[in-house]
Amino acid sequence: MQVFTSVLVLTIFFLAFIITDIRQYKERKVSSMKTLAHVIGLNSVSALEFRDNEAAKDMLLSLKDNSPEVVHAEITDKDGKPFASYTRPGIPNVNTPGVVSGENVQLTGEQLFVSDNIINSNNEQLGKVSLEVGLSELEETKKAKYRLAAVLLLIALGFSFVIAVVVQAYISKRLLYLINNMNEAGKTGNYNIRIADEGKDEIGTLMKVFNKLMQQVTESQQRKDEFIGIASHELKTPLTSIKGYLDLLNVVEEKQPNKQFVQKSLDSVQKLESLIKDLLDVSKIQSGQLQLNITQFDINALIDETIASMQMISASHRISRENDPGPLLVSADRQRIEQVLINILSNAIKYSPGENKVVVSTKNTGAELVIKVRDYGIGIAAEELTDIFERFYRTKDSSVHISGFGLGLYICRDIMQRHKGKIWVEREEKGSSFYFALPINKQ
Amino acid sequence: MHFNFLTMDKILVVDDDVDILTLVQMTLSMNGFDVEAVSHWQNIDHSIVHFNPDLILLDVSLGGADGREICKKIKSTKETEHIPVILFSANIEMEKSVHACNAQAFISKPYELPKLLQTIRYNIDESKSA
Repeated sequence: MQVFTSVLVLTIFFLAFIITDIRQYKERKVSSMKTLAHVIGLNSVSALEFRDNEAAKDMLLSLKDNSPEVVHAEITDKDGKPFASYTRPGIPNVNTPGVVSGENVQLTGEQLFVSDNIINSNNEQLGKVSLEVGLSELEETKKAKYRLAAVLLLIALGFSFVIAVVVQAYISKRLLYLINNMNEAGKTGNYNIRIADEGKDEIGTLMKVFNKLMQQVTESQQRKDEFIGIASHELKTPLTSIKGYLDLLNVVEEKQPNKQFVQKSLDSVQKLESLIKDLLDVSKIQSGQLQLNITQFDINALIDETIASMQMISASHRISRENDPGPLLVSADRQRIEQVLINILSNAIKYSPGENKVVVSTKNTGAELVIKVRDYGIGIAAEELTDIFERFYRTKDSSVHISGFGLGLYICRDIMQRHKGKIWVEREEKGSSFYFALPINKQ
Repeated sequence: MHFNFLTMDKILVVDDDVDILTLVQMTLSMNGFDVEAVSHWQNIDHSIVHFNPDLILLDVSLGGADGREICKKIKSTKETEHIPVILFSANIEMEKSVHACNAQAFISKPYELPKLLQTIRYNIDESKSA
């Protein structure tokens, strides 16, 4: 952009300069030819008075060497009859309209005609002298000037281009470096980066401000992480006591309703534990700290075990597995995959309060294992199908009161994404089908 | 419940939270272990010498000391390195430190009682057969 403006300005400037120059040249030429004509006129006075053609001719001949641009010169007497003439050698003797009436100066595209009256000391007109000047010199000069201008313009263009590129690169490079770092920080959640920039200009200032900002963010993150560490510790410690003593009470107490009171308390403790754990997970996800502990294990066995342990705590529903394939080894974080499975299964039960079955099935597509959990409950509204995976999202469906923060599916989605898998849901006529797919490495 | 004191396995429990300390001591006692409880980490060495535990259940955040450092020390002292140590913490990230400080296992707070008992049992048996 800057290059373009510079070139445009330069071109206009050059053109203006050349045009003015040429105009001045023409004016000078006209002026000098007028003077020449006048001088010739003065020198022809005596020749005309004494009717000496030869003298006049000789004088005109001097034009050949002195003023080679004069193509044709003619002296006419007071009656208008030719007295002496001169034609530059090499020029065909074309009968040009030597003198045009009235005009002393006539400048056409190709030629310049200058004429002057020859007047003697008594102010009598003795005749006229007219010169025809070839403008080829002018043409040559014009061409030369344009050529020169073009060359200079090209050089200027080259220079300004080089300078612009260098300056641009210098600025762009630094800005791109900044942008890359910003993208990196945003993507990885690692804001502990600093940019080194020696520049003393505005961009240098921008870099400094960016570094300060990064520092503030990392400090803020550290404080948040410390807080989470402290909070989870502080919350979990009394919870440990509550749970532990309730467990003991559960063993010691045999009478009802005492035992039932204990059991209900334990159920709530379980919920609280689960909520705190989810909160902690979400916080780790947010600060990019959730890491996978990858091992190889038999996923079908994990599915069977999880169904079995979920079944133990769900009296209301029967969880069954539709197909029963053999062992399948995968590379994944076993605990996290178990977490996803438990979450989806418990959702299936939670959201089908009047029903009594949940069906699990798997499909091996070769590239991945797709696990499907089908429930026959209240289902999900079409507009909520993607919303349910958002943080803290809880369904707007008020037909059933659901406890929890709305974090489970958000965490599941993050876990699946980290495994390069997928998770999604489809509506059924009654209820929903949740799918999650885990890539199987071909080894 | 009657236990033969001579055959009961001995567990040293260290935790600066008195409620949890009492809870765990009671729970493990009820499950057939001979338990000594220590709330001040400075008393650990004395306990080890005089009580001679078969396993140590060691809280990580000990108010003034880091359980992992104490574990490292126990595991690098000739007289005590044979005793299995289980790290005990509300912070599940501590599980990653088990290997680094030469502990044998990790139990999170709150714990599942069956898992606690199983882990203790397993590690005592392992160290005895070694």
